Parts: sequence; C-alpha cells; structure tokens
Amino acid sequence: MQTKNILKAIFTLVILSTFLLQACGGQPATPEPTQPPAPAPTQPAAEPAQPGQPVSTEPPAPAGGERKGVLRVATQPLVQVDPATISSDPEVFAANHIYDYLVDVTPQNTIAPRLAKSWTVSEDGLVYTFQLEEGVTFHDGSPFTAKDVIWTFDRLRNPDSGYPTADLYANIDSIEASGDLEVTFKLKQSNPFFLFDLSDNHALILKENTADPTQFNGTGPFKVVEYSPEDRLVLQANEAYFVEGQPMLEGVEILFFADQTAMVDALRGGQVDLVMALSTDLYSSLKSESGITLLDAPTNQFDVVRLRSDRAPGNDPRVMQALKLGLDREAIYQLVMAGFGRIGRDSPIGPMYSAYYSEETPLPARDVEAAKKLLAEAGYPNGLKIDLHTPDTGDRPELAVVLKNQWAEIGVDVNVMVEPESVYYGDDGWLAVDLGITGWGSRPYPQFYLDVMLKCNAKWNESHFCDAEFDQLATTAGTTLDEAERVAAYKAIQKLLIERGPIIVPYFYTQLAAIRSTFQGFVLKSFSGRSDLRPVSFVE
Amino acid sequence: MSFEADVRRSGGSVDGQTPSTPTQTGFQITGWARIGFFVRALCSKPASALGFVIFVLFLILAIIGPFIAPYGVNEQIVSDAGQPPSAKHWFGTDNLGRDVFSRIVLGAREILSLAGFGTIIAVLFGTTIGLATGYIGGWFDEILMRIFDGLLAMPLLLLALLLLGTLGPSKNSVLLVIIIVYTPIVSRVVRSVVLSVRQRGFIEAARLRGENLPYILFREILPSVLPALAVEAALRFSYAIFLVASLGFLGVGVQPPSPDWGLMVREARNNVNQMPWAMYYPAAAIAVIVIGVNLLADGIKRVLLETK
Repeated sequence: MQTKNILKAIFTLVILSTFLLQACGGQPATPEPTQPPAPAPTQPAAEPAQPGQPVSTEPPAPAGGERKGVLRVATQPLVQVDPATISSDPEVFAANHIYDYLVDVTPQNTIAPRLAKSWTVSEDGLVYTFQLEEGVTFHDGSPFTAKDVIWTFDRLRNPDSGYPTADLYANIDSIEASGDLEVTFKLKQSNPFFLFDLSDNHALILKENTADPTQFNGTGPFKVVEYSPEDRLVLQANEAYFVEGQPMLEGVEILFFADQTAMVDALRGGQVDLVMALSTDLYSSLKSESGITLLDAPTNQFDVVRLRSDRAPGNDPRVMQALKLGLDREAIYQLVMAGFGRIGRDSPIGPMYSAYYSEETPLPARDVEAAKKLLAEAGYPNGLKIDLHTPDTGDRPELAVVLKNQWAEIGVDVNVMVEPESVYYGDDGWLAVDLGITGWGSRPYPQFYLDVMLKCNAKWNESHFCDAEFDQLATTAGTTLDEAERVAAYKAIQKLLIERGPIIVPYFYTQLAAIRSTFQGFVLKSFSGRSDLRPVSFVE
Repeated sequence: MSFEADVRRSGGSVDGQTPSTPTQTGFQITGWARIGFFVRALCSKPASALGFVIFVLFLILAIIGPFIAPYGVNEQIVSDAGQPPSAKHWFGTDNLGRDVFSRIVLGAREILSLAGFGTIIAVLFGTTIGLATGYIGGWFDEILMRIFDGLLAMPLLLLALLLLGTLGPSKNSVLLVIIIVYTPIVSRVVRSVVLSVRQRGFIEAARLRGENLPYILFREILPSVLPALAVEAALRFSYAIFLVASLGFLGVGVQPPSPDWGLMVREARNNVNQMPWAMYYPAAAIAVIVIGVNLLADGIKRVLLETK
C-alpha cells in the first residue's frame, strides 16, 4: 500500500513537471519580434480578466493622427496616489505622467523648464520669479494659473500637514502671484539647490482648492481613463497638452505585478513593453533576447556600512580605520554588484555628481596586518565581536556575508542579523545599533546626504558622527552662491570622510531597465520613476 | 518481586502494543540484536528501506561532513563566482563564489542537529506532560489541554513566525520554536494512549502497592506509550526539518552566512535565472531528506504493527 501510494505520487510529479517543462520550453518560440503594443486578442491567456483592455486598445482616433502606440509598463502596485504622499518609483512614475512639475530634472541632472517656461533669480539668491506656460489646462478643462502653483506649494510646506516636504520647504518665506502667470518665491536663506528642491518628487501642480487630491486632475501629458488598484492604471494621451507634438504615444498602460520575475516573463512573452528597476540577474537574463533594448543609468543610490562613533567600540577612530583596511573593495564590487555600478569611496558624493565628485584622495589598499595592529592599539588585541544589522532587501544581506568573511581575517567576528525592513527601520532601531547597513536612494544633488545623515544634529545621523570641521564644510557647501567654493568644500569633505569618516560606501548602484525595441526615444533616469514617456514614440 | 514482574509483563501483553518492555529481565534478546531485528524488518519493504538508507546517508554526511567537503563553508573564491556544476565544483558555486556542494554537505549537520535536538526535547517534554495530564486528569488536565488547544488552533508556521518575531531570529530561537510548537502535539498523542491504559489492572496494582507517581508514569504507563511515541517522534522529526528549512527560507530562522538549506534557497532565488544550480541543489536536499524521514516513519509504524 505504502509503496503504491509513493509510486503514484512520484508518477504524478513526473507528469506535472513534464507539463511545466513544456510550458517553459515552448515560450521562446511564441514572442514575435514585432509585437505591436496592443491587440488584446493576441494574448487572451495572459490577462484573463481585463475590463479596461478594450478601452485602451482601441481609443478614439487622435485629432492630429500622429499619435500611435500604447506602451505597457510593468510596475509594482501603487499604494499612494496623492502627489503629496507618493514615494515609490511606480507612484512617482504614474504621477509624473498625469501631472506636471514646475521645473524638471533632466537625465543629465540639470534643471529644465516644464510648467515654468523661464525664471529669474535675484542677486542675493533669495527671490525666484517664474514665468508660467500659457494656455495650459487641467484635465477637467479648467485653466492653469499662478494660484494653482501657490496652493500646491502652500499645501506641501504646511508644517501641520505632516507631509515629507514640510521640512524641505521650511526655508520658503513666502509665495506670491506677481501676475496671472507669474509666481515669486522668497526664501529665508539662500539655497543654491532651490530649483532642485522645487522639482522634488512630490511637487506636482494640482488645481487650486482640490478637495480630493487622489482624483488625478492634473495638467500632465496623459489622462487617467481607468484605475483599478492592484490591477492596472490606463492612461490616454492628453490632446490639449501644452507641449507641441507631445505626448507621441496614444496611451500608456501601467500594469501591476507583485513580483519582478513575473514582470520580466511578461516582457519576454510580449504582454508588457517596459520594465524598470531591474535586478542585475534579471537584466543579464534578457541580454540574449531579441527585440528588447537594455538600458542603464548611473545613480547615486548606495548602501552605507556605518559604525556608531559616539560609543565603544566606534568611539575610537582606529576601529573604523581597521575595518576600512580590512576591506577588499574590488571583491565586494564583483561579488555583490556582479560588476554593475561603480566602486564607492566612503562618501555619499558619488561619480554621478561629476562636478563635485573627486578621486584626489587615494583609498587605503587592503592591509590585514595594519588593520590588526590598529585594533590592538585601540584595545582589541584579541579581535572584536560585533553584531551587524541589515535589512533583508536588495543586496544588503549579501554584502553582510562578504563583510563577515573579509573582516574575519582581521580578527573581527561579525554576527550577521538580517531583519525585515519594518524591524530594521521600525522604532528608529537603525539609529541605535552600533554596526549597520542602510540603503540610501539617489538624489539629484549631494547636499541632502550631508545635511540629514552626517551633520552633528542631523535627523538621520545613524553613525552619530559629530565633527566641527565637517559641519563647517557642509554648511559652506550648502549655502554659498559661489560654485568654485562649493566644489572645493565637497572635495575637502570627501578627503575628510576617507580619513576619519564613520561610514563605508562600498558601491553605487546602476539603474537598469528593458524596453521593447519598437519604442524609441526613452531615456532612463537615475530615479526610474522620473523617467519621461512624453518624447517616446512607437515605430513599427 | 516476582509478583511485580508478572504484573508488568501481563500489563504489556494485555495492552498488546508493546513488542518489548525495556526494563524487563524476562526478554532474551539483547539491545543490539533487537535493533538488528528491527532494521531487518524495516528493510523488508523497499519504501521503508529507501527511507532508512536516505536517513543514514544524511546522518553520516552530518557526522563526517567536514572531512569530505572540498571547500570551507564560507570560503569565497571570487574568480569562481556563479560557476555551473563542474569537476571542480560538483554542484557549482553561488553568486558569492561559495561551493554549493560543500555548503550542502556542511549544512546537513546544521539542519539535522537543530531538527533532531528540537524533536528530542519536544518529545521529552511532550511525553512527560502527556503522561502526567492523562494519568492525573481533573483540573490539571483541563487547564493544560485547553492551553495546548489554543496553541494548536493556530497554523504551525504562523505560530512559529509569531514566536520568532518576539524572540528575534537566531539558532536558539529556532530550537525553542520547534520545542514550543511540537510539545503540545506530542503530549496530545501520549495523553490519548494514557487515557486508554490508566484504568487497567496493572496500574491499579501499582497504585495499591504504594508506588510513587513518577514510578507509575515512567515504569508502568510509558512502555505502553512507546510504539505510538516512536512513530510520532519520527514524524515530528521530518516536520521539524521542514520547519527549520521553511523558517530559513522565510529569512526569520537561522541567519546568514550559515549553510542552512532553506536559507541557501532564499539567497539563490534572486539569481535563479543566472545560476539555477545554487537554488535547485539545496531545494532537492530538503525534499530528499524530508521524504526519506517520512518513509522511515511509515516503516517504523509498519514494523511496530507487524510485531504486534
């Protein structure tokens, strides 16, 4: 009886796996190279329930007759849709196409006009005056004016709102309309990065007195046709968009997937056309695929390994020096990053900020003996035992494992503690632990990191670093209107951090994406959510 | 004294489930011979034989693993990262350049010892509690059993996750979780057998003789419980292996860089397109040992029923 049952079970398994293998093996044959971005009937199996599909695949003929093609993007589901509270890549990506920013950031990290067509800055850097585009309308037909800008930013900077932008815009003294289509921002202190702050992810212009900001009433290039949470967001070109000839696509469909592997399978199978924020593994697996264009963009996203510097063992700077000397940076880069991205230099100012980045100060090469000696001098002749906390996301657990191995050789016994992000960041635990690995997102300019992570009383000063010279340099860099002075300050900061900083920045990530080759003109940005579909066109 | 032995022997035979009572002097066969007999009976059916062989193979692996593993458990060969299976690396290497074969071999000790110790302690606790509650009964029994019902009402994995959430992930926590999760189950099984024997004459006789409680529980009742207990322990062991691997896979169990198989599957999952071998071999190891131990448990059950 027993044997019979087992044989039966094995037999069933074999049959099942044969089916599975067939299903997998058959796939490469199916995707046609010229997969047009729509005809729903061709993929009935992949998307069984699709109430929105017919609407978007056969939209009313565009007035101009030039717009064509529907781009289908695979992303994680949206959680927030109010522009003031969005944060993830897909949330910002969707909002970026429904609404407009006052000013935008280009892929080269410079400021470009969007709803503001031009601006002037006063001598002292305190007054910014913006001229707004004419003839812009919201999706509900109402005209766009200076009042909408004022209402939007007043909402974002309201200290009682609890919005993440309240701090960012605390430096704004007043916002006034100096005409129907002219807005003047007055600052309390000069801020050389103010235009970047204005292009913050949340700073999407809403209609004045919008009662419900989740109703998608923007001025953006696409209008929302249908939104079904956790399923899809269907967008259609805004015929009245203020930029001549844009958008060039007929529509965009954002399809929600919980799993990145499923997104890539859908791309292979022809059900979606664009996947962003890819892991290196999935990206590499697409290399041999025909009809798919691979894209990458440098970012300033990094993981930081930091040691609390206000208590033992980190309060002796020799301990951190020893840890740095124990690193084989090339091996970390090859193993953890698989050769993608860039090797870091223990400072948050990465190579993406070409004007501010410096390789002047050499990084110390690996020296196990010197590291041991430093540890002995610091009072740990028999080595050191320490917990290394890390969130369980991204490549951080792998980094922890490699660090454990490399530091074992200098006599540091690391106990790896992998925690869910909710535990690592919950109750501000990450600010309390001695040794930890924290992921930091990419920002358009480097001052942010210095202000919130390394200054003496910074909000997220996880290493509890406090250095008068550093604070002085960071303040100079953040306020001076003299670009040369700022460059010099950033260089000095990088030197200081290499010499006595409490952080290790082992690498910078690369942003990876893949798009069907029938779409052209797509430029990937460091923060993939800010990538722009307006100039993207469909070519048969 | 002869009366006592008689009572006990008759107790065993009346109950009918016990092939032998370990404490008795009346049996001729010695311990080793009995094991040999048991193994032969086990191997008479191919499925049980397979289970036995698989279990013994992994047991040997766990004992001599460090001598046969070609590489260290966390030895990273940077230049060999992500290599497919070859003569140099039998099961290939993972993305961090670690030899998958060595990690599976060395992980055997980890998982077998963790699951084994956990099961043994859970069985000890469970048996003691089951014997006591079944025999004593009354309020003592009511209260403990209602508590256990509460624990058992929760899905096992959920309970384990809950406990690990409070304890924090570590090897000791996993051990504790196995004990807490399996003690009630074992004690329920033991208690049910005790309930059926406690009214028997030989128990009453022992009580009349004035034997103390531990004596009655462990010398009089326990032998009747042993067959059921043996099967239950073997089953618990196979589930414990599965639980350790599941918790490792969910990332709340044993912490990296330990060569726990579940953890290996978790780590390799991100790179499954590039290096599937790093995931498939540890997954296969989990499957094989769980199936093996299950077959073994079935075999033990069969042999015990046959000897009846």
